[in-house]
Amino acid sequence: MFGAMRLFLILLVVQTIAYFALSFYSRGVRRRKLETWWDERGKTGNKEAFVARGLHVYDNSFRRKLILGVYIVPWVAIGALIYIVNYM
Amino acid sequence: MAYVKWAFIIIFWGTIAVILQYSLPQHDVVRIVNTYEERQDLTDWTRIFWSEPEDQSTSLSNRDVQFIQAVRANGKPIVYRNEDTGWGWPPYFKFDTANLYTEANDAKSTKDNPDWVVVTHYGWRNEFMSIFPNAIFIRHVEGPDVRIVPWFNIVFLTIFAALVWAIWVRWRRFRQKKIDPVLENMEDGLYAAGDAIDEKRKGFRRWLDSWKSK
Repeated sequence: MFGAMRLFLILLVVQTIAYFALSFYSRGVRRRKLETWWDERGKTGNKEAFVARGLHVYDNSFRRKLILGVYIVPWVAIGALIYIVNYM
Repeated sequence: MAYVKWAFIIIFWGTIAVILQYSLPQHDVVRIVNTYEERQDLTDWTRIFWSEPEDQSTSLSNRDVQFIQAVRANGKPIVYRNEDTGWGWPPYFKFDTANLYTEANDAKSTKDNPDWVVVTHYGWRNEFMSIFPNAIFIRHVEGPDVRIVPWFNIVFLTIFAALVWAIWVRWRRFRQKKIDPVLENMEDGLYAAGDAIDEKRKGFRRWLDSWKSK
């Protein structure tokens, strides 16, 4: 069972790194997009408030939660593989 | 400098291609003729071409390995090993070695009355290093010229290419925006320094020349 533990631990570490990297990257992309939107169209009110509001909406969005797939997808894939290889 | 750069690129992608070629599943249409077990020494560097099915096996210097002997449609022989991959690399999570051995024994057939099977495997056969591909599935098929579509490889390589492309595009964009201007700045600085040295040189030359007899 040591092999399984090793795999799970390494996968967990990699997933955590990937999760945080993706989160920061995705939030940065959204921030840049909001800023361009404001520069191109909005221009009413405070730019920082607009961006902050947009990011708050993003933080509660479903898209943001899709990044959790980084944790789910590999486990599902491993489960499917174990079933297909050994029991089908 | 361009040669060095290309050497690095070729070595990098060559390594990835070799690893993928070794690890991805491949299909052979064969007729299984026999199975056998043989004690294998696992102490030299070819150890990397054998599985580590359970944790004890890392400390063993030899152990019994099951083999499946088969003949391809063109009459050439091929021998597979039959080992658990366990939780290790490549990630096939194969634990049913004993079951596969039973299936292989069940699928034995003679030349006169052939029972064709598709053996899914990964790995290489190399006679000089005595390494064998590891069998994963055995599936019965109609005849030796059945058409096999490698669906898994198509899907996997497509996703892999998409991922590489996505990262590469972002990296290039990042480089153009953040790193290239800095480099250009540095280059401009270097050129400016070079020009300044040239200027100085000219001044020094002129002064030297002034000593020459006309």
